[in-house]
Amino acid sequence: MDGIGIIKGLGVTLRRFIATYVDDIKWLGRRYYKEEGIQHRSSADTDGIFTVQYPEEKIPVPEEFRFIPFLVYEEKDDGSVFYRCTSCGICAKVCPTQCIWIVRTTDPRTGRPVPEPAEFYIDVDICMNCGFCAEYCPFDAIKMDHDYELAVYDRHANNIYDKKKLGKPVSYYASIRPTNYKREEELRAEAEALKAAKKTPAN
Amino acid sequence: MNEGLNKPEYEIPPEMKHSVAITTIDRIYNWSRRSSIWPMMFGLACCAIEMICTAASRFDLARFGMEVMRPSPRQSDLMLVSGTVTKKMIPQIVRLYNQMPEPKYVVAMGACASGGGPFKEGYNVVSGVDNYIPVDVYIPGCPPTPQALLNGLITLQKKIDTQSIRDVRWYKKGTSETIPVPVLGPDIMDPREYDLLRQYTFQKLNPENINQPSVAEQEKGS
Repeated sequence: MDGIGIIKGLGVTLRRFIATYVDDIKWLGRRYYKEEGIQHRSSADTDGIFTVQYPEEKIPVPEEFRFIPFLVYEEKDDGSVFYRCTSCGICAKVCPTQCIWIVRTTDPRTGRPVPEPAEFYIDVDICMNCGFCAEYCPFDAIKMDHDYELAVYDRHANNIYDKKKLGKPVSYYASIRPTNYKREEELRAEAEALKAAKKTPAN
Repeated sequence: MNEGLNKPEYEIPPEMKHSVAITTIDRIYNWSRRSSIWPMMFGLACCAIEMICTAASRFDLARFGMEVMRPSPRQSDLMLVSGTVTKKMIPQIVRLYNQMPEPKYVVAMGACASGGGPFKEGYNVVSGVDNYIPVDVYIPGCPPTPQALLNGLITLQKKIDTQSIRDVRWYKKGTSETIPVPVLGPDIMDPREYDLLRQYTFQKLNPENINQPSVAEQEKGS
């Protein structure tokens, strides 16, 4: 019969429409403004209205979601921070848009380079979020962020991110990408064990 | 009564809390203006897809009073520059901006519109639409997700809230100046020079045929 598809389609719309009101009554007053309501909305068994009420409710981003890169630093017990970056410049070389600018540190006495960046800039008005820098970094020092709320009024003052603005602790990285972090830590532990095993017979 | 309309500096007695609003002209203006921003309906590149997604039911611009995307600059308040602005496109963008009635706002969406993006050094792309028209909000990202765009639009609404009738340029006396439409010139390619450019390219490719007739002459002859 002709038109059966239209009736089916409209049926779906009608079901959604009714489910919206049923959901409204079921979650009265706590759907968008309470933690449990937001959690229910982001789960798979939510029903009814499809619209994301953005500032209150946010869609959880997948783990591999990538936005602007950030620099990972480790926090020591005495409160000082240690950037994993060694200013090798691989990220700046692979960057297709060339939005990374690194200034190396040199030892003032010897004039030799020191493996840490003196300055590290990313122009987020050029960055195209491809993730090559994070992919190629041999020290796991640069990673892609999940934070996308970056709108500004003045790009010349705000949109060239420096080392301080890019730096984020390892704990933050572990919180946004748990599986990647776990895998990397396992690999690191393995490599260190191998190194230790190699050293032992020589002694 | 909308809470946003009340001016917080003025104390309202508790028994009149829900029936009286004390406000200022500025606040009414800003409140009504920021709740009915109509964007212009045009997209330039891949960012436009995200803009379309934002306007559709999943994210729904209508929640901010922006659902009416106008296909005419005469009826729109907001220009969402969504995508790469090429040198061929910028005269049209500036012309559209001039045709928009005031108050008007511009949002540069994505890396390309704000700073040229991956094509910054390209021969055919403008490195930042803000070289030509005043931009109010920049949204980084390539492309910004719908939620990032909504965040940018909320940022714009916050900016409108801070404006005052006394110092905004469109409420001052006299007419505001139109922005000159960029002419396609040496930096931006001029279509009137196509013939010359073609000749130049031909010369470069075949150095021995320097006196090659131009395309216009060829067409005349044939």
